[in-house]
Amino acid sequence: MDPLRSYLGRLLLEEITPVVMVLTTPLAEAACRKSGLSVVDMLSPFSLFKKIDVPVRTASDQPYRLQMFKIRMVYASDVRKQDHEVADERIKPVVSEANESALPDLLSDPPQLEDVLSKPEAELCPLWIKKFNRALMRTLSFSEHETFDHPVACLLVVSSKDNEPISKFVDLFNTNQLPSLLNEGIMDPQILKHYVILHDQQDGPQEKAMNILAEMKSTLGLNDCKLLCINSSTEADGVDAENSWLPYKSYGLHNQEGSCWLNTDDLNEIKDFMQDLASNHIIPYMEQKIRVLNQQQEMSGLCYFMLDQSRKDAEYCMDSAFSTYLRIGSSGQRNATRCGLWWAEMLKTRGQYREASSVYYRVSNEEPSLHSAVLLEQAACCYLLSKPPMLRKYGFHLVLAGNSYYISDQKQHAVRTYRNALFVYKQHPWSYINDHVHFNVGRWYGVLGIFDVAIKHLLESMGKKFDVYKLQLPVINMPSLRVIYEDHRTYASEADVNVSESIWQELEEEMIPSSSVVRTNWLEKSPDLRKYKDSCVCVVGEPVKVSIELRNPLQIPVAVSCISLICQHSTSLDASENSVLTTGAGEDIASTKPAISTFEDDGNNFTVSKLDIVLQGSETRSGLPKLTGCIDHLPTNVFAGDLRLLKLNLRNHSEYAVKVYVVIHVDNTHVHGPWIMVDMSKNIKMKISHPRFIIPDDLSKVDLEFPQCLRKHGQSEINTVSTKRTQEDSKVLLFSFSQDIKIQGGATFSCPIWFHAATPGNFSLYISLYYEMESPSDMTYRTLRMHYNIEIFPSLDVSFSIRMCSSRLQEYIVRMDVLNRTPSESFVLNQLSCNDSKWAISTLPLCGSVSSVETVPANQAVSCFFKIKDLGTNSCKETENSSCTSDMLLSRDGGTEEFDISRSPITDFHYQERYQQGRLAKGPCDLLDFILISKAVGGNHSKSEADIQLLSHHVCHCSALDQSPVWWFMEGPRTVIHDFSKSYCEANIQLVIHNSGQHNISVRVVTFDSVPDKSQTVNVLDSNSNQSGWYDVSLENDIKAISTAKGTHYQKQPSESIPPYVWCSLSCAQVDLKPDTSAKVPLKVCIFMPGTYNFSNYQLHWKVHSSAVGQVDENERSGGGQGHPFYVTVLQDAQ
Amino acid sequence: MASTACFVIVSKNDIPIYEAEVGSAPKKEDLAYQHQFILHAALDVVQDLAWSTNAMFLKSVDRFNDLVVSVYIFLNPLYLPGSRITSSHFDTKVRALARRYL
Repeated sequence: MDPLRSYLGRLLLEEITPVVMVLTTPLAEAACRKSGLSVVDMLSPFSLFKKIDVPVRTASDQPYRLQMFKIRMVYASDVRKQDHEVADERIKPVVSEANESALPDLLSDPPQLEDVLSKPEAELCPLWIKKFNRALMRTLSFSEHETFDHPVACLLVVSSKDNEPISKFVDLFNTNQLPSLLNEGIMDPQILKHYVILHDQQDGPQEKAMNILAEMKSTLGLNDCKLLCINSSTEADGVDAENSWLPYKSYGLHNQEGSCWLNTDDLNEIKDFMQDLASNHIIPYMEQKIRVLNQQQEMSGLCYFMLDQSRKDAEYCMDSAFSTYLRIGSSGQRNATRCGLWWAEMLKTRGQYREASSVYYRVSNEEPSLHSAVLLEQAACCYLLSKPPMLRKYGFHLVLAGNSYYISDQKQHAVRTYRNALFVYKQHPWSYINDHVHFNVGRWYGVLGIFDVAIKHLLESMGKKFDVYKLQLPVINMPSLRVIYEDHRTYASEADVNVSESIWQELEEEMIPSSSVVRTNWLEKSPDLRKYKDSCVCVVGEPVKVSIELRNPLQIPVAVSCISLICQHSTSLDASENSVLTTGAGEDIASTKPAISTFEDDGNNFTVSKLDIVLQGSETRSGLPKLTGCIDHLPTNVFAGDLRLLKLNLRNHSEYAVKVYVVIHVDNTHVHGPWIMVDMSKNIKMKISHPRFIIPDDLSKVDLEFPQCLRKHGQSEINTVSTKRTQEDSKVLLFSFSQDIKIQGGATFSCPIWFHAATPGNFSLYISLYYEMESPSDMTYRTLRMHYNIEIFPSLDVSFSIRMCSSRLQEYIVRMDVLNRTPSESFVLNQLSCNDSKWAISTLPLCGSVSSVETVPANQAVSCFFKIKDLGTNSCKETENSSCTSDMLLSRDGGTEEFDISRSPITDFHYQERYQQGRLAKGPCDLLDFILISKAVGGNHSKSEADIQLLSHHVCHCSALDQSPVWWFMEGPRTVIHDFSKSYCEANIQLVIHNSGQHNISVRVVTFDSVPDKSQTVNVLDSNSNQSGWYDVSLENDIKAISTAKGTHYQKQPSESIPPYVWCSLSCAQVDLKPDTSAKVPLKVCIFMPGTYNFSNYQLHWKVHSSAVGQVDENERSGGGQGHPFYVTVLQDAQ
Repeated sequence: MASTACFVIVSKNDIPIYEAEVGSAPKKEDLAYQHQFILHAALDVVQDLAWSTNAMFLKSVDRFNDLVVSVYIFLNPLYLPGSRITSSHFDTKVRALARRYL
């Protein structure tokens, strides 16, 4: 087998061929120096004999024909043992150099399985690793117990110019220049010596050298002396010299100085000389010596290999050599390494990669981390090369190698090995391995400063634990990408764009023409609409805003810059037919300055950036009119009941006039009121949804003063509003205005708008404004959309309880409970009004005012009592007094005028409240509505009139607690003076019974002297208490309290077993009453002793007689009532 | 003597379906990943050897320094490929056995 064909063979040829030690004199060196060579340099190229074909006998006396032979020429000064540290130092650069060169590769993607398997062996095991192996082996050169490098011969070279050349030869071998190993006797000093006299032809004729040779032969031995002539070329750098050198160039002969005095003859002579030296001297000498040399075990293994026989024997030899070296201890360690390397190479050459890798692994255990790293990597390569490839082992050993590299500070190598192993552990469910590999790769990339890859790997290792995968910085929230453009829909602010389109569409229904193009017949399609149907339309000169959210998920700030928007211009408008929008108009990179607004999220300290890149149109053409608008001073949070006047300001930014429609929509999921269409003129309409909150006022009243405009100025204006309400029941209210609204170009237009915070909660207020272009254009109309969020806090809870007055007809006692639910605000009660002028409201006779309760502090409740009188019934007409009004001032605050509740907007808002509250609670009989107007004082009483917060609370559909069709009360003297010494006292009283119902009623009055059954009383009371009119459930407790208060009143009486009075003359009477008539039943009471008596021991029972009984509620068809208390004081006449 | 051992059940495609660090030596994170590496690498050998022997128990099939890998090869026909063994009862049993023998 040709040793040159395998790597190991070449290695062996170079490394363990016989060594010839060379000793020279300085003059001999100088002669060679002329050609830029040393003696060794000059001789080395000729030391390989490819076809020497010399028969030799081996150690076991087997004849063997040596085909190829090589000798190594080494200066004697180099024959010495190297220091361990120095040797290691020499190896390190080999690795470090490769370390640096590995860096660029690390930036590429890690190799995949297919790549690795398809790679040839040479690539897997790069050149530097071979270099390393060789360097590692060479550290052993000329060391103790080392036989490969023992010189087998000694070549002594003396120049012919030297004085006394013979003695020089002797000196050369005797001086202390000899290697210490030889002197110490470790190497055999009795080696073959060969003496050469070197003659420089330029120094003179050859005769002198011949003479010396003759002398040498006689002195030093006939066969061991040679004459070598060099530099016979007459001129430097001979023409033929170049050519003659060529065959030897490959053996490392390099003419460095460019001048060469050696000619072909010289070279041939050297060649012949060397061949003679080898075949006639060294080989025979070695033949003799071989019996000594073959004691090395290691060596025989290699011999077996070289013989390419007996594999098992070779392996056995290497194995035992290896373990023997290890047994020797530290001194044999490096020998073991070299032995291992030989062994591994041997196995590799035979294709036993798996065995080779385990040898590498064994070797790596004996070496320092750097060396072991390289060895482990080679072991990994062997696993990969084995058939079938053992990928898991490959990965594992690469990881081991990586660790060793990292320990020995070779980070690039470490990353490289780990990276190479990545594909093995790709998509790996072995969590620890995955984490370890990715974490370390990431960490080391970080150390190397390649942060992007480092983060990628670190995330991979954290991926399963923290669920963050493929982190981008900053995170571009693609769903947040919005292109905001305004076609016919324009927005007051950017936040309004986020409102769902369906809300706007619902709002603008009926307002926007369904098709702006009038078709002449049904077949014709409007071309303009079709053209733009699928593409977004925006108006020339107006911005198209692109908004995208960039998020920083880290805890540290990230600077974001150089954001650019790339736009493609398309000339094709026919997007519906051609799906490809880009027709190659080239790309324009819009270099715009993004407006960056940064938000700080408190919770996670995230930095959220929002960019608005405004693209200015390159083309300037006259655009369409566009209105901008806002509601001035619209509060974001108010108290319930807040009533204020606001202004809707519209501004026309173009030079064209527009006509305006306004649609206002308040969104609350459960409140959906009627629409109000406001007919502003023949052509201009304003449509309002949910006018519970917002009502536009007459456009002529732009300069209204608030709150003066709400006050009563005179009787004349009162009834004007009622004409506005054309249809009470209809859900549409029509308002008529006198003038057209036309906003000229550049002009500003204001529209007064009333706001009433009707009920607590969060509300979204949507206002859509419709306007038409005066100038004809593609777009005939546009809308301006506004959106406001309002939060309404609870302020005052107002409730009323109404009870029929027991002493007067058609009068009611009203208790008003006001609870302030705000934490800090105080309210001054200003005015209480009834919705209908048929009701007169007044204070109770004995308390002239309720000024003591005019202020309701925060978290406090007040109750006040007053009476209301029904002025509408005929029977009570006579009592009507002009001083009785439906309004009552609660505050005597410096002659404040009353607010006119019968005028817009209060009456409009009241109508809305009535409608809303009626939907929630429909009592069978509702008497009246109350409007309480109050002011917020907020602890600061010195508020000027201008910034007073006015609140109006509307309580609708109130009804009396004990509503019944029959009223009754006692009439008679309250004080009787009687002389009881003469007789008992007889008092004449009469019971007035009034039928306020719609039907005939028969009433039976029963008097009794004993106390009526308690339980019966309660039942009667309960059946009469009609609570259906109460809308506020929270007040039920109060109602109960009233009931129990009355109950206790009765409970006191049973203590008196016998009443001190008796009814006379009548125990039972029956009267029939027509609707709205009264009857008087005379009664007489006998009193036996002075005192105060309550003549309430009677009961009323009534029955409704009606032709339409079915219409009457079952509860009201019949009923009864306990007598009202009627106190009479009887005094003893003093006379 | 403190011993350390790692018990892993691997289904096809190298998916570990049950892992338990057993033994009396105190648990260490780096030991755990070293064990995983060794066991994973040993699969190469097992894969090779499984087709060349009838034995179910491959004793000392691979070794790394003083850590020895032994493998039982079983086939559970009821096993649903890809599912992990999550039974806590099984886990307790394994650890109890480990305590008895290690």
